[in-house]
Amino acid sequence: MNDMSTAEIAATTAPAKITARNVQVYYGATHAIKNVSVDILDKAVTAFIGPSGCGKSTFLRCINRMNDTISVCRVEGKIEIEGEDIYDRRVDPVQLRAKVGMVFQKPNPFPKSIYDNVAYGPKIHGLTRNKAELDEVVETSLKKAALWNEVKDRLASPGTGLSGGQQQRLCIARAIATHPEVLLMDEPCSALDPIATAQVEELIDELRSQFSVVIVTHSMQQAARVSQRTAMFHLGELVEIDATETIFTNPSHKKTQDYITGRYG
Amino acid sequence: MPLVLIFAFLAVLAVAGYVLGRRRALASADGNIRALHSLPGYYGWHAVVMAVIPAVLALAVWLIVQPLVIERQLSGFFPPEIVADDAQRTLVMADVRRVAAGLDVAVAQGALTADQADRIRTEFGSVRDRLAEVGVALGAEVTPQVLAAAQDYRALAAAGGIGRTILTIVIALAGFAYALMVTNKDFRARNRVESVVLALLVLASTIAILTTVGIVLSMLSESLRFFTMYPASEFFFGLTWSPNFRGNSELGLAPLLWGTLYISLVSMIVAVPIGLFAAIYLAEYASPQTRAYVKPLIEVIAGIPTVVFGLFALVTVGPFLRDWFAQPTGLGNSGSSVMTAGIVIGILNIPFISSLADDIINAVPQSMRDGSLGLGATKSETIRQVVLPAALPGIVGAVLLAASRAIGETMIVTMGAGAAAKLDLNPFEAMTTITVKIVSQLTGDTEFNSPETLVAFALGMTLFVITLGLNVFALWIVRKYREQYE
Amino acid sequence: MSDIIATGAAVPARPKNSILVEDKLMKKRNAAEARFKAYGIAAIAISLATLAIMLWTIFSDGVSAFRQATLTFPVTLDAAKLDPQGARNPADLVKVTTVGYGTLLTTAFRAHLQEKGVSTEGLDDKAVGDMISKAAPAQLRDSVLANPSLIGTTKDISVYATGRIDGFLKGRVTMQTAERDANVSPEQLQLADRLREAGILKLQFNSGFLTNTDASDQRPEASGLGVAIIGSLYMMALVALMVLPVGVAASIYLEEFAPKNRFTDLIEVNISNLAAVPSIVFGILGLAIFINFAGLPQSSSLVGALVITLMTLPTIIIATRAALRAVPPSIRDAALGVGASKMQTVFHHVLPLAAPGILTGTILGLASALGETAPLLLIGMVAFVANYPAGPLEGGVMDPATALPVQVYSWAARSDPAFIERSSGAIIVLLFFLVVMNAIAILLRRRFERRW
Repeated sequence: MNDMSTAEIAATTAPAKITARNVQVYYGATHAIKNVSVDILDKAVTAFIGPSGCGKSTFLRCINRMNDTISVCRVEGKIEIEGEDIYDRRVDPVQLRAKVGMVFQKPNPFPKSIYDNVAYGPKIHGLTRNKAELDEVVETSLKKAALWNEVKDRLASPGTGLSGGQQQRLCIARAIATHPEVLLMDEPCSALDPIATAQVEELIDELRSQFSVVIVTHSMQQAARVSQRTAMFHLGELVEIDATETIFTNPSHKKTQDYITGRYG
Repeated sequence: MPLVLIFAFLAVLAVAGYVLGRRRALASADGNIRALHSLPGYYGWHAVVMAVIPAVLALAVWLIVQPLVIERQLSGFFPPEIVADDAQRTLVMADVRRVAAGLDVAVAQGALTADQADRIRTEFGSVRDRLAEVGVALGAEVTPQVLAAAQDYRALAAAGGIGRTILTIVIALAGFAYALMVTNKDFRARNRVESVVLALLVLASTIAILTTVGIVLSMLSESLRFFTMYPASEFFFGLTWSPNFRGNSELGLAPLLWGTLYISLVSMIVAVPIGLFAAIYLAEYASPQTRAYVKPLIEVIAGIPTVVFGLFALVTVGPFLRDWFAQPTGLGNSGSSVMTAGIVIGILNIPFISSLADDIINAVPQSMRDGSLGLGATKSETIRQVVLPAALPGIVGAVLLAASRAIGETMIVTMGAGAAAKLDLNPFEAMTTITVKIVSQLTGDTEFNSPETLVAFALGMTLFVITLGLNVFALWIVRKYREQYE
Repeated sequence: MSDIIATGAAVPARPKNSILVEDKLMKKRNAAEARFKAYGIAAIAISLATLAIMLWTIFSDGVSAFRQATLTFPVTLDAAKLDPQGARNPADLVKVTTVGYGTLLTTAFRAHLQEKGVSTEGLDDKAVGDMISKAAPAQLRDSVLANPSLIGTTKDISVYATGRIDGFLKGRVTMQTAERDANVSPEQLQLADRLREAGILKLQFNSGFLTNTDASDQRPEASGLGVAIIGSLYMMALVALMVLPVGVAASIYLEEFAPKNRFTDLIEVNISNLAAVPSIVFGILGLAIFINFAGLPQSSSLVGALVITLMTLPTIIIATRAALRAVPPSIRDAALGVGASKMQTVFHHVLPLAAPGILTGTILGLASALGETAPLLLIGMVAFVANYPAGPLEGGVMDPATALPVQVYSWAARSDPAFIERSSGAIIVLLFFLVVMNAIAILLRRRFERRW
């Protein structure tokens, strides 16, 4: 499968934002990610699909080194963002995560006000010089996350008081307030109802103009709706990656075919 | 009959009841167990329950009532003004009991015959000396009334003893007979036994309430007695504490309350940062192996008796602070001080705060940490700005509970804080606390009729109210914050 | 989603930095991170260091209490002095007081020194005799009264040296302190040095520390923990006897039978609040209810046990309920399903399964009760008790006694520094019992740990 990915990548023309080569992940004795090589493009949405436990979330968490927080987890291979190896000894994961933001499966607003939730990132990264700038960042981010109109009158109330969909959009606003270059989303709609899901999907589509977005999803339809490129994972291996249209209309692997037609999942 | 023998009798009756009840039930069913309503053992237990429990209850009631009745009977020996005055009556009755006990000892040792004990008169020589010979020390010479009352007391107690024995045995036998009478194959022995057992279970669980009632009533009644002798306003608002057993005491709460709060404050300044940081390190930074060793080690501190900390304060911390801080800076010359007691109580409270805070921090969902780390926050930023605010209610609760422990701590302050009641700001001065004064006013042979002794109950009540208030407040805060985040 | 179009461009963009280079702000943030972590390590280091210092001081102060300076020399138990009638009649023997035995001892001591050629220069006869503990004559008298056949024999005996000499051998008393001390003179210390060389004076293991009763201020060397250990033992046995049935019964009711109503709510709130009431309040309760109202004897282990039972009960109930809750509902369902009554289910199935947990909790509760001091001070257990309480069947629980932690306190309150050593030694004994109890609890937990 390794030779495959090189060929596939060669076929893409746009510049890669992130390149991963021969990535292996171990959880203690378990080999969770096996030799995955993948390119992720700038200003595009890449979807990771595959049956549960296939390693797509694990791989996503490697991209901003969230796996560092798990003590038994070990990562090998190379992941570069704009040519810089993120597993280089000199890299501070904190700086990396400012560049590669993340939105999680379950909305996890901080026990703070809506305003403070969004202002958190800019504050710790020292992005603003004064309160006016911070207000500006908060407002812009909430607007980008399509939440501004709903919360502008109650910025001081706790973020935990919002509905599930609003909370997830708050988390997206929080992530984009730090001005990341890449946005990782780990099944961002799995805890949301269909209406909220639609809102978030629409939002993802719009975010594409500014960020490189990687989304892990269980839903085939979602991948088809929001992504330009789709990567299929199975049992810790990358089956194939291609333009979304190609994957869904003319996959080159039988496993992908079976998965997208619902034979297993 | 002494109590031991009564209980022995009940035990024998119980065994007999079990055997006979069981046999009778089986006999009524012609040996066919299946014809019985309950298992044969239940019929046995039913007999046991019926023979023992009513008898024991009756015995308990008798034991409580008898002294009250005797005391009323004996009041005839004394002038009404003594009987009317609570304090004097208690004093006289205590004398009577002591002389009576002395006569008992004398009879037991053969220094007096039973007859002599009943007829001995003060006119024939010193009763005190006679009793001293057999090792019963009396404070003052025995007055004729007291002696007569004591002799009457012995007679009444002896009569009471006989009545008690008869009553218990009769009730036990009656219960025994009743149980055997009703025993037949259709009797629902299991249901009866089970409802008795259930009643016992309920009784056991009400002991907690009885304890609280006992605490409140005993302290309240004695405090009220105190306030009849000493004005409440002077107790609560007085600025001087100088008890004097010859009278003219000033018993102001303020210096004690100040000492208590000051020492608790120092202890919290020690315990909160250390306990909290230890908890943070253990919960967020330490590897599982480190945690497995360090956490139990810190909890060892909590398992050490407070008197050990008291000795540590007295022998090590006090002299150290005096020689290295108080004397060089000219702030004091005493090993006992607010600092000594405060620091040592602080050490005692470290494991309390750290293990509570550890639990609370661990309860903060991991997703919250991930959210912050995913935004590029460092670990400490995550802890300070996300984890701690989320854990705040629990931590505030833990801190308040620790404060209540510090306020109620006794041994460390008794050994390390000193005995001087003053309103002072210098932490290297010896000061004293509510608990120290409770101990000092109540230890030793004191009669409970002077304000200097009874003040301890008012102090106890104050302490109880403060700590209870803190606990309730702590729980309320926790609940309020929880609701906010739910 | 028209919001996006409205977005102003005024927000300052994040500077595009290499992730390989630590920028200035990052340096600051990482320094803060390192500081924060260091605070945590410091907090743990301080806690553990304090624990270590405390245990070390206690042990180094206390371990010497188990060794005592003793003088060994032959004594002739002269029949003419001890039993002038010669009938060995106990009534006659009792008439010879400790003073008589004292003279006997000091004379024998001086004679032995002369024989061994130990110079007593600069000391009068009394000062030489004062080297022997004031408790020694009474001990000799007791052993003679217990065994009158000793009279007339000559026997090597070991008696305690006085506390000051003991302190000299242990380094607590020096020539300098002796000069300012009315109880000992430098000359006596010099004599002690010579006695040590002659092999008459030495430090020996002192079993008396565990068996002797308490002794007065002037005789620290003779004081021991006997009464305190017995008192603590009586109390713990009584507490276990009372707290286990009541605690288990209350827990069973609350956990298995109690309906959810105001009454049970009240009990629950009560139990959790009682667990946080300062221990001294229970002392006041004991004084008011058990001593003043019920008229039980002061200083007795029975009253101590009652107070500690009430105090420990909430802890035991909390632990027992946790143990009962750990038994899975499936077991109750299974028993109920075959037609057992609720009561049978609980007593035949749930309780046996919860027993190890209950026992562990009880032992831990007792361990913390063993160290409890404050309430016992109020019920008079701090009084000086010179006699052993009677046996448990002879009503010994009603006799005055003291308890280990209280003994620690009352020794620490005495003025003679020799008692600080005793106090620390008592803590060693107390901690030994605590360690044993905790070890048993841990073993029980390991042995019976069960996971469903």
